[in-house]
Amino acid sequence: MTGAPVLRTTLSISGASCQGCAKKIRNALEPLTGDASLVEVNLEDQTVALPEGVDATEAARVVTETGYPAEPVTGAETPASCCSATSTGPAPTAAEHENEQAGVPDSGSEHLAAATQSDGQIHLAVTGATCASCVNTIEKALKSVTGVNHAHMNLADNTATATGQADPKALVQAITNAGYGASVIEDTDAADDRRQEEDKKRYKTLLVKMAISLGLGVCLMVWGMGFGSMTVTDTNQSIWFGLGMLTLAVMAGTGGHFYAGAWKAFRHHNANMDTLIALGTGTAWLYSITVVSIPEALPEMARHVYFEASAMIIGLINLGQALELRAKGKTSEAVRRLLDLRAKTARVIRDGQEQDIPVEDVCKGDRIRVRPGENLPVDGRVVEGSTRIDESMLTGEPMPVSKAVDDEISAGTLNTHGAIVYEATRVGSETALARIIHLVKKAQGSKPAIGRLADKISSVFVPSVMLIAVAAALVWYNVGPEPAVVHMMVAATTVLIIACPCALGLATPMSVMVGVGKAAEYGALIRQGDALQTAGKLDLVILDKTGTITAGHPAVTILHAINGDERQLLALAAGLEQHSEHPLAEAIINKAKEQSAKPMKVTGFEALNGKGVVGEFEGEPVRLGNRRWLEAEGLSLSGLNDVEKAITEEAGTPLFLALGTRLLGVFGVADAIKADSEAAIRRMHDAGIRVMMVTGDIDATAKAIAAKAGIDEYRAEVLPEDKADVVNEMRGKGYTVAMVGDGINDAPALAAADVGFAIGTGTDVAIESASITLMRGSLHGVPDAIEISRATVKNIRQNLFGAFVYNSLGIPVAAGLLYPVWGILMSPILAGAAMSLSSVTVVTNANRLRLFETSHKPVQGTNQSQLSKGERN
Amino acid sequence: METILVNAGGLVLMAAIIWWFWLSSSDSGASAPDQSHH
Repeated sequence: MTGAPVLRTTLSISGASCQGCAKKIRNALEPLTGDASLVEVNLEDQTVALPEGVDATEAARVVTETGYPAEPVTGAETPASCCSATSTGPAPTAAEHENEQAGVPDSGSEHLAAATQSDGQIHLAVTGATCASCVNTIEKALKSVTGVNHAHMNLADNTATATGQADPKALVQAITNAGYGASVIEDTDAADDRRQEEDKKRYKTLLVKMAISLGLGVCLMVWGMGFGSMTVTDTNQSIWFGLGMLTLAVMAGTGGHFYAGAWKAFRHHNANMDTLIALGTGTAWLYSITVVSIPEALPEMARHVYFEASAMIIGLINLGQALELRAKGKTSEAVRRLLDLRAKTARVIRDGQEQDIPVEDVCKGDRIRVRPGENLPVDGRVVEGSTRIDESMLTGEPMPVSKAVDDEISAGTLNTHGAIVYEATRVGSETALARIIHLVKKAQGSKPAIGRLADKISSVFVPSVMLIAVAAALVWYNVGPEPAVVHMMVAATTVLIIACPCALGLATPMSVMVGVGKAAEYGALIRQGDALQTAGKLDLVILDKTGTITAGHPAVTILHAINGDERQLLALAAGLEQHSEHPLAEAIINKAKEQSAKPMKVTGFEALNGKGVVGEFEGEPVRLGNRRWLEAEGLSLSGLNDVEKAITEEAGTPLFLALGTRLLGVFGVADAIKADSEAAIRRMHDAGIRVMMVTGDIDATAKAIAAKAGIDEYRAEVLPEDKADVVNEMRGKGYTVAMVGDGINDAPALAAADVGFAIGTGTDVAIESASITLMRGSLHGVPDAIEISRATVKNIRQNLFGAFVYNSLGIPVAAGLLYPVWGILMSPILAGAAMSLSSVTVVTNANRLRLFETSHKPVQGTNQSQLSKGERN
Repeated sequence: METILVNAGGLVLMAAIIWWFWLSSSDSGASAPDQSHH
């Protein structure tokens, strides 16, 4: 700790949630500070402390660009955890001088408190957004509001999130001005319910609108083709005028939202999908009504009307949007299933009286009675009674866990056995279940790198399409065949209609939403879209040993009784060890319970440090301990040499049991490999992934475990802080590395890896510290996540490819590129159908992911079955 | 004459699109550089 820098300048940041984020921020600031290690990132306070002299504004800019909205917070009251040097009152920095001179109050800590109090995020429900261009427009509109550092729109669930210190009303106004509807989401659960209701209503409305506009379009087409003509003559001019007006009314009634959206976007110098639809159908109608009104102004060949095209395009797009809406609803099922786990009411004991109250009204400290078969409403600690709780929905462990007084229990889990009273310790959004729901939602809304491509393209896409449409029209006018006016209008209209980028906008979010939900079904909580993408590219998985490959606590792996009666051996050893609190004793007692061996009555217990334990059984001394001690007591252990060798080869500790001078047997106690670790590692091998183990254990133990679990390579005697070096070394060799650990000791290594997998239970803080958290204790979560990730990225690629191919082929064909060769000129109606089909295809393809199954089926009795139990409650 | 008018109109329209969506500033804050830098 020599030469510790004086940390003065502080940035308030948001969105940094794990060691990986901290590392990214440190690395980004390295050019400014000269050394990444001089930067202190405090995830708890969401602050970054920088060495004196670093330009805070520039640093904030760098950090914001890295993806974590930041702003300088200068002042003497910087959080103590970031900067204890502040209390000694060093000279103010240049930035502070500037603030003082500008009259900026010294409110760093207050400001920070406000920012962190509410996570600095404002969630908005957005209506009217339909494509990638809309996403872009909305994000830009939000970013333009003072105080917004970062804005993100999720098209898949029509929500936007603004990070910073903005006024919510200003955010709503900004989105409204940009041509969309918005409202602030205060209660996300209520908002979800409301959105579902609204979506149902909208779906019905869209179907009605579709029926009206398609009905008119089809009638016009049939009438034109079968009974009349689509060409205006002196006799049918007035009829066509009437039909033109009827079409206008239908266009306004069933497609009014397109025109309103287009106009609002246009006023703000934006163009979106609505712009293309409005221009396309508007051009067709205007041309047609001109033909009807002044037919003599056009050559006879050009007196064709396209009213049916306008009506049918609007009808088809309405149909496409209705189908899209229905499919979107299905993608958020994963979250809905989690939401269904929550109990609606709680039986609270207040002033000695039991009363059922809504779960929202439960306060910390309330005592709650839960009967068998009921779901727990909030997190808490048992104060009365004992029971078994089914926690599979949180941890994936299929066996109910015994809970007694003082044990922690979590909301959403199921009380399977006895009645208990417990005290609420965490309520509302603080419960483990609420945090999990929040994380899944957040990950579903995040955008992996591949998805940003669509955004970049869409921002220039619509205006470019408009240019292409005009250019195509001019080419047709100048060099096209007669009637040139008709051809130029058809080409321009078709280009505008076919180019709608709705498929592009949906390609990534739909797949991410389904993929993240699918991973959650398998007990893998993916926290960032990026992790979802990177997990598919992994070629090396580094596993921590204790708690990851092994169970993390000692267990009896070998048991050998000289007289062959293992139960008697266990009963005696358990009788002796029941007085001890040593982990080895626990292993023996557990084994005795497992084999129903009742502990014998042993008295006079004594633990001898470094030797073993001794007691008295039926007047004789009973000893359990290591070889050296028992040999020193005059016992010969040579008869058990082979068993002892087998124990040490399996990285176990041999414990010999003797009664008086008679040797009874030996126990091999080891941190046993989890039952399914070997199978999970085999799955990783099958996926073409190299598996490595790092452990602090001695070489012999590591070697034994590695051999048994099928590990390709191991590193023994590695200190926790050096694990990150191993990760970096392997990354340096060109591997894409995943680190799997228990999330506490392994935090630096988890952060250093391309993807960090934390093995922890749902209630563990580990959830917050890795990019993927495996809620089940099993290593199978790693290959599961990898398989789901690969399937999701493949699905996104298919979607983007489909969307790009559709547009890149559709536009030239619509512009008439095939006409000179084959005489093919696409009709605007076909373009409208193709456009709707492309978004329906993307949504359907993303939904295909819901059927995906990994090569390992979840254990019977986990999520699915529990979810249905939860729903009953 | 008609040909000149139509072509001139088309070119003016293209210039207007470029100006409106890329070069002119927006009151919603969707500034031109933002929209064109991708």
